[in-house]
Amino acid sequence: MRLELDRIGHAFLGRPVFEDLTLDLHEGEVVALVGPSGCGKTTVLQIAAGLIEPLRGRVRRHYRRHAVVFQEPRLLPWLTARDNIAYGLAARGMGRAERRALAEQRAAEVGLLERDLDKYPAELSGGMRQRTAVARALATDPEIVYFDEPFTAVDVGLQRVLQDLIIAASAREKFSALFVTHDLAEAVRLAHRIVVSGRQDGIVAERTLYGVPGQRDDRAVFETVQTWMQDPSFADLFDGDRQ
Amino acid sequence: MHHGLAFLGWAGRYLWSGWAGAAGLFCIAAAWQAGHELYGSFILPAPLETAREVVRLAQDEAFRHAARQTAERAGLGFALSVLIGTAAGIAAGYSFAAMRLMRPVVTVILGVPPIAWIVLALIWFGAGGGTAVMTVVVASLPISFAGGLEGVATRDRGLDAMARSFRAGPLMRLRTVTAPHMVSYLFPAWTTTAGSAWKVTVMAELLSNAGGLGGDLASARALFDIARVTAIVLVVVGFALFSEYALLQPVRDRLEQWREAGRPWGVKR
Repeated sequence: MRLELDRIGHAFLGRPVFEDLTLDLHEGEVVALVGPSGCGKTTVLQIAAGLIEPLRGRVRRHYRRHAVVFQEPRLLPWLTARDNIAYGLAARGMGRAERRALAEQRAAEVGLLERDLDKYPAELSGGMRQRTAVARALATDPEIVYFDEPFTAVDVGLQRVLQDLIIAASAREKFSALFVTHDLAEAVRLAHRIVVSGRQDGIVAERTLYGVPGQRDDRAVFETVQTWMQDPSFADLFDGDRQ
Repeated sequence: MHHGLAFLGWAGRYLWSGWAGAAGLFCIAAAWQAGHELYGSFILPAPLETAREVVRLAQDEAFRHAARQTAERAGLGFALSVLIGTAAGIAAGYSFAAMRLMRPVVTVILGVPPIAWIVLALIWFGAGGGTAVMTVVVASLPISFAGGLEGVATRDRGLDAMARSFRAGPLMRLRTVTAPHMVSYLFPAWTTTAGSAWKVTVMAELLSNAGGLGGDLASARALFDIARVTAIVLVVVGFALFSEYALLQPVRDRLEQWREAGRPWGVKR
């Protein structure tokens, strides 16, 4: 067990977002948290990552290091791509030369070219910025990575590339991941287990996916999503009228 | 080697951009010359005449001493107000309550005319260098304070959360997330402070008879030495230009190079 969220609840200005939410994350496991917008998925992730304190319940973390990939790249505009990737290492107190070398290695893994590393975020395309953010998270050798709808702003082709990149990285480096998304197909592609959060009532459904992420073909992914669309537990996800 | 060349390139570009600024200054000189030709030397000495007077004054040991005195006072006043004001502003920016409390205080202090501070300081400290320094500090401290406060208050909370997710401590977050953002708030405040430091120092010196360029200005006025008056004004303006374009602007330019990178082609300089 890497992470346990035990009956956590949170509210903003007295308005409850969710109550009694319990969620576990095992070693090497990728859990996708899906739900309609406004159901508090991001809040769950921020609580898990320690960015906000839950109003109720307990969070137990059995790991040393985590990293977060946010919805927006959140790169520091005054640092070059190389120094942005090395940011987490700098926060750990690693020396400049060492962290830059590690950053270059990670950059190559996510498909960034050597010549892009001296550029500032403003000079990079949206996709390259998100790649940089992924490299920054992976650079710290995390045991858990929290992904907060990281690929909503990139085009479909690039989404696939970035998803594959994360599937490969999690298989290679054995990190656990909590992947928040509203895209069921994305969740089915890259997770071991899917947790569905409803509006206000915490977790409404949980499905363990067969097989290993990365080995499911497109047809299987499509069919799973089609079947689940008929499932009442997933109704909130596809019901745009109530949003 | 690579960094050295990049620095030389930047320094060359910075110096070269001085021509545009010089063109603006020469426009002022032309208008000045026109005024001189209209009203004559007694009302407004010509720029060239004034420049000659400056050269003559520069060889005068007493005048050099006065200029140094003014520079020291203005510099000390600037340093104190910038250090105290910025530090207090940063501290207040992190506290919502302090921010609410301090904003009207800033307005009140800024609303008191510097001349009133001079009179008060004269009563408190007597005629001396302390009066000038204190007036500069009190008159311009709120500007740096407001700059630091706004800079911290408008920091990007998303970037701050990102830094916290990597367990960056408060000092590292201040250095890497907040400080680079604050530069664009602090430098306008600091250049305003530098400019007003010279003005207020000379004014305080003139009124408190505390030597320096202000004291020189008072005696030149008493003697109706118009050329000397304009020469002193020119020296003070020269000091102000130097502190802004030789000391503050290059630092800002270096710190904000990343902004340059975001500009589209053709807008760069």
